[in-house]
Amino acid sequence: MTELLQNLIDGLGRGSIYALLALGVAVIFGVMHLLNFAHGEMITVSGYATLWAINQGWSWIAIVPLILVVSVVTSLVIERLAFSRVRGASDFTMLLTSFGVHFLVSAVFLLYVSASVKNFNRPSWVSNTFSVGSLNVEVFDSIVIAITAVTLVLTTLLLQRTMFGLSLRAAAADFDTARLMGVNSDSVIRGAFALSGLLAGIAGVFWLMRAGSTTPSAGIDPMLKGVLAALIGGLGSLRGAVLGGFALGLAEVLLRSWLPDGIASLTEGVVFALIALFFIFRPGGLVKVATAERV
Amino acid sequence: MFQRTGRDIIAPFGGALALFALLLGGGLLYETLVGTGSAERLVTIMLIDAIVVIGIQIYVGNTGILSFGHIGFGAIAGYVFAVLAIAPAEKAKRIPDAPFGLADVDMNNWLALLIAVGVVLVVAVIIGIGLARSEAESGAVAATVITLALLFVTHEVARNWPDLTGGDRAGLSFKIGGSLDSRIPILLALFATILIARLYAVSRSGRLAVAAREDNLAARAMGVNPLVQQMAALLISVAIVSVGSGLRVYETGSILPDNFFFDYAVLTLVMLIVGGRNSVTGAVLGVAVMTIGRELTRRLGQDGFEVFGIGLDEAPLDWVFRENLQTVFLGLSMLGFMIWRPKGLLDDWELDAWAHRRFAGTDEQQPEPLPELDKAPAALLKADGIDVRFGGFQALQNAGVTAASGEIVGIIGPNGAGKTTLVNVLTGMVEPTAGTFAIDGEDLSSKQSFELARTGLVRTFQNLRLFGSLTVRENVEIAAMVAQEHRDGRVHRDPDALIAEAGLWAHRDRRARELDYGNSRRLELARAAAMAPSFMLLDEPTSGMSDSESVAMIEQVRHMAATVGAGVLVIDHDLNFITGISDRIYVLDQGEVIAEGTPDEVQADDRVQAAYLGSAAHA
Repeated sequence: MTELLQNLIDGLGRGSIYALLALGVAVIFGVMHLLNFAHGEMITVSGYATLWAINQGWSWIAIVPLILVVSVVTSLVIERLAFSRVRGASDFTMLLTSFGVHFLVSAVFLLYVSASVKNFNRPSWVSNTFSVGSLNVEVFDSIVIAITAVTLVLTTLLLQRTMFGLSLRAAAADFDTARLMGVNSDSVIRGAFALSGLLAGIAGVFWLMRAGSTTPSAGIDPMLKGVLAALIGGLGSLRGAVLGGFALGLAEVLLRSWLPDGIASLTEGVVFALIALFFIFRPGGLVKVATAERV
Repeated sequence: MFQRTGRDIIAPFGGALALFALLLGGGLLYETLVGTGSAERLVTIMLIDAIVVIGIQIYVGNTGILSFGHIGFGAIAGYVFAVLAIAPAEKAKRIPDAPFGLADVDMNNWLALLIAVGVVLVVAVIIGIGLARSEAESGAVAATVITLALLFVTHEVARNWPDLTGGDRAGLSFKIGGSLDSRIPILLALFATILIARLYAVSRSGRLAVAAREDNLAARAMGVNPLVQQMAALLISVAIVSVGSGLRVYETGSILPDNFFFDYAVLTLVMLIVGGRNSVTGAVLGVAVMTIGRELTRRLGQDGFEVFGIGLDEAPLDWVFRENLQTVFLGLSMLGFMIWRPKGLLDDWELDAWAHRRFAGTDEQQPEPLPELDKAPAALLKADGIDVRFGGFQALQNAGVTAASGEIVGIIGPNGAGKTTLVNVLTGMVEPTAGTFAIDGEDLSSKQSFELARTGLVRTFQNLRLFGSLTVRENVEIAAMVAQEHRDGRVHRDPDALIAEAGLWAHRDRRARELDYGNSRRLELARAAAMAPSFMLLDEPTSGMSDSESVAMIEQVRHMAATVGAGVLVIDHDLNFITGISDRIYVLDQGEVIAEGTPDEVQADDRVQAAYLGSAAHA
């Protein structure tokens, strides 16, 4: 029982980060039907920004806003340079464009920055824990869970209560109609990328604090988690994406503790395999989105 | 399986031979000119890459689904092959503890390759079901993510199961000198690959897969089950990729997890898209172009700005041209082509199809006009009590229609009356909340759209859904192919004759998307007729047409239906057209049938005048 509770807390912490990433992926998918394989690049770029800042002697207090800004700017720049040119193109073109962005960014860092893993100091409190009864809770996990909860509430308010949120949801429901109703597609899309970049930035802060290192291909892992979680949740559903993130986090932690020692190193592989199975039985994801095609 | 011997068998054979000769000839020429061992190796690698890339093309090109997973399948094949084919003495060094006694297996290379293909096919069937189901439910995007996940799974497993794979660093190796010493197997495999790819593309399965790529919904409405064709394409495709991967491992003499991961997946995909993913010729061209481009950038990276002895020493650009410049080049190629030329250099241009059109297709005679059937095969369509509710909106309420073969039944009503919804129900695109429909008493209400098309309910679309990048002739042929298999006992008309009847003979080799509105509508009609339907359901066949075209359409619809013996259910809001064409008319208003009868009876009905015709008459 204690072990299960412990796992649930760990899984919630991990799932929070995935949920933020997945939500960012889902927001973009909503407004332009683009599944963003470059979603991890915000974290790659932020990672190198963090590395630079730490070498300059910045403290984490100052680095957190830096990461958020870098992440939003990166997201907007990628939109401007690449995605704005393939709006309305086929799924194939958009998917490969986003993948191309991912590949190019990591190739550029590999070539012109460094091929090796770069380490930086993590905040000293990251691995501190406190006890609640017989449970050991990481300070870090509890902060992650709390900030994610606040972020999700604020995002919900933003989407439900503001004009921007309304246009974004309208565009997600039916982009063409929303445009006919006077929603400015340019600003909605840019707003979506800014929001997605901000969410990735928050996730990135946690990710980088935990990892304490960056590499040219550091974006793959968070991208994959975000994209898979969005898919598990049901493509096109924001609520589903968040659910998918938590589900993925929990699944990883639980599997790691349940799998026998011999194949514990294969956890990732098993998770992927389970996801593939999941799609055979529930191809629409957790939250099914009605996609009526006009005929 | 193939429609025309000349076009679909002989021409692809010649085309495959020509492509094979061009690629090999170019490679040999380069080898002779440069004359180094590394040039020879580069050409060998290019030939193997060509096998893998064309293998991927069979799936990606014909189905339109982006797959990263083929390299994952390649990894599985590569490891199975390596584990089986490497001599026990070598395995004892790397993987003495391999499970299932695999460390002691001593197997012939060919048998090992065959088993590798077999294993991959089994995995592909399972993955294929997942792909098909999620594609049907959430679109091609979901399928792509699954393929990406597959790539990661295989990589993760290969890295973390050292007992079997030798792990991340050591990997598996054949003994020195044990690897490929002759190109013959590669050449044989390459030629077979090109030939199979071309033949598949023009085969029945290939053409149906392409139809679904062009317009999934329209393909299903023409009786195509895309999932079956996609599975066929996947299996052929991964079998070839497996052979290519086995050869790649053997040629390299070793295998590491990273050999079959991101870099190779990206390289092969870029090769595919640069040439043009929808064409085998494009895949071959892409392999050549990218091999050359990569070799140039590699040298550029290695030798700085000084390429082939030309350039400046200590040039300021030296810092740009670094080792591994190829990866940046790959990324730029991928992005650049997606943004500026997403269909690649050749789009769907094929060498053999072009040659066949150019040199063999000139003496075609316009077919004779088709006779009308004296007596249409009897059939009765009956829909009863159909309710459709979208959320709180009642689109159809207790609607019922009947139509008999040889009869033209019109359905008229104002916008939003539920006309298109009714057609959608009868063709399986909207599920009715209540009610049933049947042909000759056989209940059809729970069937999917492709099954309904096969039982004879064939529709056209108000907003035109042709297979845009296919020619007029291919559009009609696809329907005829489905009809041949599923419409026994009906009169099948020659596709060319139907094209001529639709007045499209002069346009027969043009792409459907190049046609104007009127011609597109007539092509939809001819395509529907080619299905040998029991009933044609025409959704506003005259929308966007001029008055004179509409009048001509009356005769065309009537005649086309009579030549294949189909009944017609036609929707329109053009009163003149409907009264001009119909034997009987149903009037729909707000989801309900409010009147039924001959054109004269309906026009005289008070309720109809009030609800619809009245306002039209006073307008």
